[in-house]
Amino acid sequence: MVYSLAWHFLHDRALAEELAQEVFLELHRHLATIQSPEHLVFWLRKVASRRCIDQTRRRAFWPKFRLDEVPEPVAKTRQRDPMLSRTLAKLVASLPEKPRAVVILRYQEDLDPSDIAQVLDMPVATVKSHLQRSLDILRDKLARTIGEIAI
Amino acid sequence: MSNLEDDLKAALRREEPPADLANRVLARLNGLPEPTWRERLSVLVRPPRLQWVALCMIVSLLVPFGAVQYRNRQGERAKVQLLLAVHLAGNRLHQAQKRVLESSRMDTRI
Repeated sequence: MVYSLAWHFLHDRALAEELAQEVFLELHRHLATIQSPEHLVFWLRKVASRRCIDQTRRRAFWPKFRLDEVPEPVAKTRQRDPMLSRTLAKLVASLPEKPRAVVILRYQEDLDPSDIAQVLDMPVATVKSHLQRSLDILRDKLARTIGEIAI
Repeated sequence: MSNLEDDLKAALRREEPPADLANRVLARLNGLPEPTWRERLSVLVRPPRLQWVALCMIVSLLVPFGAVQYRNRQGERAKVQLLLAVHLAGNRLHQAQKRVLESSRMDTRI
């Protein structure tokens, strides 16, 4: 989970591995504060998300792809194809950091907005706003090539 | 859920970490200094139930390197390392946790 969050956020395997290690080392230091398995999962999501966002800001880390640089997917079919998945993942990695974290927590971890709000320590309304705007951006980008999108 | 949301779920499905990631974390942990007296005291004051849960998970999941380290009686550090190893191994944490919590409730010795 931790590595996967970092990978989808940073889209850089070396950085994702490094970040995942840092999260588990931090867990080691704070293990006495963990109260339950559920708390452990919550803690890992929270710390991993925060570190991903900090990583992007601290190192002025530019995503490998900007939204306008990601090639349009070639497939015109709505079947789930690997090319489409790769393109979508890249598009997500090019979103601004907080909306990116929201989208990843929503669709990788299957969290609802109230849970995401707790993990990211932001208002639920903000989470919903980020989610909606991100979906609009992603839909718009894909719609140019795929054509009619069944919403 | 819309098609786009289904596609996002597929695109953002969990990626497995590299096979040696757990070993690298454990290696870095082994390089860490011993816990301070304050950290050891905090473990005594707050019973490490989660570490016992992790211990039972390890036994049930038969993680070889974790079992070896535990047998070497690394004590508290081994339990911590095993917890990390199991979580990193991406085993079926949830199902195992459920079983362990149910059995730990029945077994008061744990």
